[in-house]
Amino acid sequence: MEYLRKFTGQVRSRLFVVLVVDNLIFLADWVITDKLLHLSGIGLAGALIIVPLLSLTLLPWLNTRYLAQPTKLISEAIMHIAPETADTVPSPKLESASLGKELVSTMVHQLYQLATLADEQAKAKGQPNDLHKNFIATVLPLPLITLDTNQTILFANKAACDYLQVHEVDIVGQNFYSVADMAFPDDQTLDSWLKDAKATKATAIGSWERVRLEVSESRPLRLFDLAAYYNKANPDHIETMLVLFDHTSQYSQDDQAISFIALSVHELRTPLTLLRGYIEAFEDEFAGKLSPEMNDFMFKMSASAQQLTAFVNNILNVARVDDDQLVLQLHEENWRDIVRSAADNMALRAHVRGITIEYSVAPNLPTVGVDRVSILEVINNLVDNAIKYSGNSKKIRLSTYLTSDGMVETTVKDFGVGIPANVMPHLFTKFYRDHHNRAQIGGTGLGLYLSKAIVGAHGGQVWVKSKLGEGSTFGFTLMPYAQLAAEKKLNDNGEITRSAHGWIKNHSLYRR
Amino acid sequence: MNQQKKVLCIEDEYFISELYVRALTKAGYSVTVESDGKRALDLALTDQFDIILLDLMIPTLTGFDVLKALRSPDNNPPLHAKVIITTNLEQREEVREDIEKQADGYLVKAEITPRELVEFLSHIDF
Repeated sequence: MEYLRKFTGQVRSRLFVVLVVDNLIFLADWVITDKLLHLSGIGLAGALIIVPLLSLTLLPWLNTRYLAQPTKLISEAIMHIAPETADTVPSPKLESASLGKELVSTMVHQLYQLATLADEQAKAKGQPNDLHKNFIATVLPLPLITLDTNQTILFANKAACDYLQVHEVDIVGQNFYSVADMAFPDDQTLDSWLKDAKATKATAIGSWERVRLEVSESRPLRLFDLAAYYNKANPDHIETMLVLFDHTSQYSQDDQAISFIALSVHELRTPLTLLRGYIEAFEDEFAGKLSPEMNDFMFKMSASAQQLTAFVNNILNVARVDDDQLVLQLHEENWRDIVRSAADNMALRAHVRGITIEYSVAPNLPTVGVDRVSILEVINNLVDNAIKYSGNSKKIRLSTYLTSDGMVETTVKDFGVGIPANVMPHLFTKFYRDHHNRAQIGGTGLGLYLSKAIVGAHGGQVWVKSKLGEGSTFGFTLMPYAQLAAEKKLNDNGEITRSAHGWIKNHSLYRR
Repeated sequence: MNQQKKVLCIEDEYFISELYVRALTKAGYSVTVESDGKRALDLALTDQFDIILLDLMIPTLTGFDVLKALRSPDNNPPLHAKVIITTNLEQREEVREDIEKQADGYLVKAEITPRELVEFLSHIDF
């Protein structure tokens, strides 16, 4: 993640978090037990301002570059909510935090705890005001939600309610997942993280980027980063605290970028439709009447138009992959049929280069769970590459068989130029080009990147073997349908929906 | 084909409709082309067509509007035509799902040649 890279190293950051948290806890005890300060709202705020400053002086060896920003933010947050300075200090710009959101959320958690303790103290003294409701957690300009051990909402501050467009009374006591239908960019969801944390940890900090809050008709889509702090032994029954960092406008601008691509693709497709249509009309009219040379030209035109169509689809699909918009519907299919149809599909493109595609399909292959269109694109991309790098060789071999561990494996083998060893690790990287070997590898580096994403979404893996001068073999595995269906819950239509990043709804109840 | 099927091709790109008319006529369909959304809808509502090829980006009414109107419960009895979306525009997944629910078929024009369109239509069950 972006901000993590800004740390010079994991170790340092973790140490820092631990130290700061320890300091805060230490300070909290100190404040409360020694009664150093009267626990009025003003006194507590005063104490809390000291916290980050003290952290700063206690850890002088820490590079202030990492410390200054979040410390300033926290100070600003406290000043912003402290009664005597609330009107003069603006709310902090949390978006600009260059330090981890994890750290910010940890601090927020500690602030919340202090407020709660203060509240209890106040109650013990017979002061009825609900400090923590009126205090930090309420006024903090960050959406903040606390959950108990069953993920029931205990508390949501005003910012959170405004953000989710709900009233606190309507959501407190509700299961969090029923209130916020979130979707995460990969398999590591809040739900799975929490399960892991509960099983193995006393405290844990997690953060996610690009979390989507699903839209209902009346509520606009929300896109945000999420940080969670988990504490098993929390005396207050609060087990998990969630802090949301809104990025709706920034992330939805990225969404608009895909619209731009979609529009460009539309503009490219119209002339392509026409080209292919008119070429076909020519073929119809002149079939058998052309000289062999003209016939060959016709094939080449047709093959080129096909190739361009495939390329346009690649561009679109890469944009979809990058934007989590590539959604696959995995159906039970006969793999033999698909491989045959791919070989037929590519035959013309191979033929115009004088290449023959041999294919062999092992008998008794189990059915596979695939998205037909996408998986055909994978085979097409691999065969296209094989054609491109066949050199003087005139043969490509497409094979499919069952591996020893029960996966359906498909390989595309060429006998051409091969791939230099230094290029191999980067083959599946988007737009990768090795400048020394540009002439040898060519291409745009989209096809393999896309193939990897598509195969990954099917639960399979892509691999490559190559020897310079002898050719390359690209292979990918697919799960038999029975295995896939057993592992993934089917939806009402008996199909399995997955995205290129395995975009899965947060809770198992919602898992599509 | 026992009985000549009537196709309404709603398409504002003349070159595309020209290609479709040629291929469909050769295959024995009778084809009417309309490029304007409003006029196409009026024509479609006469219920004389068996197949409606519907482009989504058309003038005056969008293809979405036309589709909605064709599937409206106000059409009593419902239109008998099969509606096939023919578009080159990419939709967000949720939009596409919504369209697919209302239509009988969905084709990306750049993906198919006129010959393949004829092949596709021959599989429609009436």
